[in-house]
Amino acid sequence: MIDAMTLLTIVLMAGVTYLSRIGGYVVLRNRVLSARATAVMEAAPGCVLISVIAPAFVSRNPADLAALAVTFVAATRFSMLPTVLIGVGAAGILRHLIG
Amino acid sequence: MSILQTVEATGERSGSEFRRGVASCAPVLLGTIPYALVLGAQATQKGLSVVELSLMTGLNFAGGSEFAAIQLWTSPPHIVLIVAITFLVNSRHLLMGAALAPFLRHLPRRKVFPALFFMCDESWALGLADARQRAGAGLMPAFSPRYYMGAALAMYLTWVSFTTVGALLGPMLGDVGTYGFDMAFPAVFLVLMRGMWKGMAPALPWLVSLVVAALVYLLVPGAWYVAAGAVSGLASAWLLWRQEP
Repeated sequence: MIDAMTLLTIVLMAGVTYLSRIGGYVVLRNRVLSARATAVMEAAPGCVLISVIAPAFVSRNPADLAALAVTFVAATRFSMLPTVLIGVGAAGILRHLIG
Repeated sequence: MSILQTVEATGERSGSEFRRGVASCAPVLLGTIPYALVLGAQATQKGLSVVELSLMTGLNFAGGSEFAAIQLWTSPPHIVLIVAITFLVNSRHLLMGAALAPFLRHLPRRKVFPALFFMCDESWALGLADARQRAGAGLMPAFSPRYYMGAALAMYLTWVSFTTVGALLGPMLGDVGTYGFDMAFPAVFLVLMRGMWKGMAPALPWLVSLVVAALVYLLVPGAWYVAAGAVSGLASAWLLWRQEP
């Protein structure tokens, strides 16, 4: 049911994740950041999010690229739920038709 | 920031503050469900048991890093690679915690440390937006811990339970990619990014991240594209910064 190596990996993952959650608070709690550092800080979450989904932008499957384009346009207009439904629907239909 | 704590009205309205947090999180929860099901289903295809997957999402509770970990999962797992990528994907938490820190000064550490365990993109964004709004309206303290915990616990329970459901259903679903559920992931991230949008200039580092991450993904095996994209985006944010006139 639980493999020792898997458990160790999960516990270490949880440990570094919790450190990332308290680190910013502990280190920067009583400091005022420069405007430049603040600008970097504000760009950071977006930089990480777009990097994680970057492979979708260079997919070799035309159906996936078309579905991503539809999802992208939906994301600029709609809230979370409609965007997810449109994205999943577009990917399912386009892969069926093209892929 | 002022240390004045003029209104301490949160005490009597604690239940309604918690409910307000849950309610504001509801649309995000619905968007999270397909994404949680996909993660659970993919995990079982990589050979994780249902218990192992529930442990991962319950102890780690950071979806992006869990997707990355499952993508890289082998049997036995490559511990160093997976833990390093987990930290890199979650390094944004350092900045998120730093952004939240000024609003947490009036709270004791024994409350802040447990609360930060539940800090995810969504609960952070909602809690911070709410605190800024309340500060603008002159409410002190601006940060409402119960509102934040309402949103955060709703997210946590949804994430852990639906990733578990995904793992239970996974073997029946087959390859989730054929249905298009995996597109939920880019969809959720793109909507989150639209919420962070502040114009073309502040978004330029995102474009740098996208281009670098895509190139590294095509050219370098493994999941280094996340780190490369994030680091190059941050470097460009630093280099492109201009003092406002």
